[in-house]
Amino acid sequence: MSSPIAEQRFREIVPPLLDDAYSLAKWLCQNQTDAEDIVQDAALRALQALSTVSVDRPKPWFLAIVRNVAMTFMARNRRKTVAYVGDMADLDTLDLPEGADAAPNPEQELIALQDGERLRQAIAGLPSPFLETLVMRDINGLSYREIAEATETPVGTVMSRLARARAMLAKTLRSGP
Amino acid sequence: MTDRDVDERLLRLNAALDGELDAMGSLEFEREMRDDPALAAEYRRLTTLRNAVRRHAPREAAPQALADRIAALTASAPAAPPPQAAAAPTATVVPFRRRAWLDSRALAMAASFAILGFAVGAGLTSLRAPASSGDVAQHLVSDFARAEIAGQPFDVASSDRHTVKPWLANRTTVSGTIVDLAPEGFPLVGGRVTIVDRVPTPTLVYRHNEHVVAVTELPVDTKGARGTCGIETIDGYHVARWSDANLAYVAVSDMDEKALGEFVEAFRRGGGPATEPAKP
Repeated sequence: MSSPIAEQRFREIVPPLLDDAYSLAKWLCQNQTDAEDIVQDAALRALQALSTVSVDRPKPWFLAIVRNVAMTFMARNRRKTVAYVGDMADLDTLDLPEGADAAPNPEQELIALQDGERLRQAIAGLPSPFLETLVMRDINGLSYREIAEATETPVGTVMSRLARARAMLAKTLRSGP
Repeated sequence: MTDRDVDERLLRLNAALDGELDAMGSLEFEREMRDDPALAAEYRRLTTLRNAVRRHAPREAAPQALADRIAALTASAPAAPPPQAAAAPTATVVPFRRRAWLDSRALAMAASFAILGFAVGAGLTSLRAPASSGDVAQHLVSDFARAEIAGQPFDVASSDRHTVKPWLANRTTVSGTIVDLAPEGFPLVGGRVTIVDRVPTPTLVYRHNEHVVAVTELPVDTKGARGTCGIETIDGYHVARWSDANLAYVAVSDMDEKALGEFVEAFRRGGGPATEPAKP
């Protein structure tokens, strides 16, 4: 059972963050119903936690909970998309893709960027550490430090993942349908 | 350039785009771009990519049903103390975008009811006797009078219908739309459960200046729910009854007849398609 203080804190913190939470969950698990369950579960955990902590930075704090719940959910329910989790360490040490600073076909990239559906599919196809970093930056609007807090990774890793995510997106879009 | 230089350059490019360089770093970067057209072109492409992501993959609104379920997680408590007296000073309060219920006047009003009502309200529900056979309006008037003596307690004190509605929906069998009448001068202050014919029934409480109106929603076939078109006076309180296709409404108030008439009109206008006046 939660205390009145926890409920008061919860009412101040969580409802304004629901859109961000839902968007993050939906990008991570690619499914509307699962995303709703994830957000609801995360909200319950937040409520319980708020009995004992007060939170200085609610947004990265709550999105960290959403992310953890999403990852647990997917590990439990989606065997086939776990492929990247085992390789996560490798992803951070790979060389940056070449062509990151020379676009052989900038027109194609520009055209592809108009195609929302194609862009969304390209984003969804990113490896999960890159996807979550990109979503937290460009959709949830977290700063690099906040992303580092929410994902429990060093800021340098966040910067590297974000740069790679964007480079990978550009490459996917340049390479044509 | 070594791989490390390329890495650093790309990281700085992204950091510049995301506003993560400090003032001196930004100044240096702008100078570099002036001197290096390739860098400038790369920056422009990255900007275009980032803008496209924001445009085609915007933040999505959480479904209303989800928001309602989450609001219901804490809706059983009485109104929070007024914002000035917030008990968690270290929590960073993020301004609400969608919920109107932190409007401080409504909240203070609800709080002043609830502070008095909380201690009493929890017990009062169990003290209200179920309606015996007879006029439901008389029963609701007695109910209103009892509530007035107790300081208008609520079971759920909130001026946000998105909080009140799921709370009532979980506890009563009737659940119509909750109308927002704050613009007309009748802000919602809360809800409570009334027992009518042994059935838990939702009562919405609206405020008008220093007066209160309690609107109870009933199944349309409830005995005595269909009343006259006009406003009656029972035990000194004004009572209005009306119905639509699905629900009957009984409003009890200590407001004068004219104000109650305005309320009923506003309620019926805001609550959905225009209905016929209740037939006697």
